[in-house]
Amino acid sequence: MKIILKTGIITLLTFATFILSTTNVNAQTKSETDKTYIKIEVDGLSCPFCAYGLEKKLKQAGSKDVLIQLEEGEATMSVPKDQQPTEEKLRKIVKDAGFTPKEITFSTTPFKMKKDEK
Amino acid sequence: MNRLIILLIGVLATTSVFAQGPPIFTETPILLGLDGGGMRTFGRFIVKENATVYVQPLAIPYNLGSKTQIGIAGRFININLNNFESVSGFGDLTFFLKQQLYQKDGKGKTFRIIAKLDQVFPIGKTSSMPSIGSDSWQSQLSLVTGYVTLKYGIYGQVGYNLTSNGLPDNLIYNAAFVYPLLPQKYPPNQLNLNIGINGKFFTDVNSNTILASGGIQWITSKTALFEAGIQIPIVEEVPKAQKTNYVLTFGTRILIF
Repeated sequence: MKIILKTGIITLLTFATFILSTTNVNAQTKSETDKTYIKIEVDGLSCPFCAYGLEKKLKQAGSKDVLIQLEEGEATMSVPKDQQPTEEKLRKIVKDAGFTPKEITFSTTPFKMKKDEK
Repeated sequence: MNRLIILLIGVLATTSVFAQGPPIFTETPILLGLDGGGMRTFGRFIVKENATVYVQPLAIPYNLGSKTQIGIAGRFININLNNFESVSGFGDLTFFLKQQLYQKDGKGKTFRIIAKLDQVFPIGKTSSMPSIGSDSWQSQLSLVTGYVTLKYGIYGQVGYNLTSNGLPDNLIYNAAFVYPLLPQKYPPNQLNLNIGINGKFFTDVNSNTILASGGIQWITSKTALFEAGIQIPIVEEVPKAQKTNYVLTFGTRILIF
């Protein structure tokens, strides 16, 4: 009887763990596919103290995770797919922040960061 | 001559009131971040042969766009004459306008030129001896350039200050080199070394003043900066009793907009 009970509990726990992990993976995948990832090459990013305005303006465009990389001269961010700004709008934002926009890339998957590659 | 000294104090007090970013003692052509919608104040001790002057200015710039900035600066001044009582009060008020004329950006670098207009309203106290205000309307037009990269920054300013009420007009010339001591990253945690010269030539009386400047800046976050610097005269064509020994500056800049 004890053996049957033990086996039952272990089976239940294993099943619960499997269900939870699958749900998590599904949630993560769904969340990632609902986003558009944007990389903007920005010229003129020459000082950390002056990049704040760019970050602030990009956040106003609907992103909560703006990342500015000075050495690469890049700003990356993600926005919900249904709020994706146009390339024209992004160029205006960068110009209004006092910088020069270069290439803008849209992607359905996150961009690899230099620090991630190390 | 007494009013010339007041004008000189004004110069020492205002040279960098409007410099809203690195460098400490020279103007910058960059109107962004801590150079933009910030508030700047510092305490400046001007130690002269015959007096110690303390100046506490407060400057608030406001960006009308990415290429235009306006602002206002006021200052509290205390003059402590050696072996005599001290006088203090609010000095003149300055309105300033910056307009960007040229911008050339590259990856991790920028070259910019701006025109800057300073208009001094002589509202400072003039009833004391020595006077706290200059009692002179002054208009200064200058060109400011800067080449800033992630590795260093070079800044320059040339301008002419028209005065009224018998004060001598003057030509200003400033230059600075800024070197970051820590790797540049964002959000910032920067330590910057500043060196430079600040010159002023009083055209009507052929009197020249050149100060050698040095200082250090610590940018602790996206919105706050602390700085300290010293200026030592290398040329100062004034009577010996009125010569400046050194100028100490301690200040902060906080982004508010």
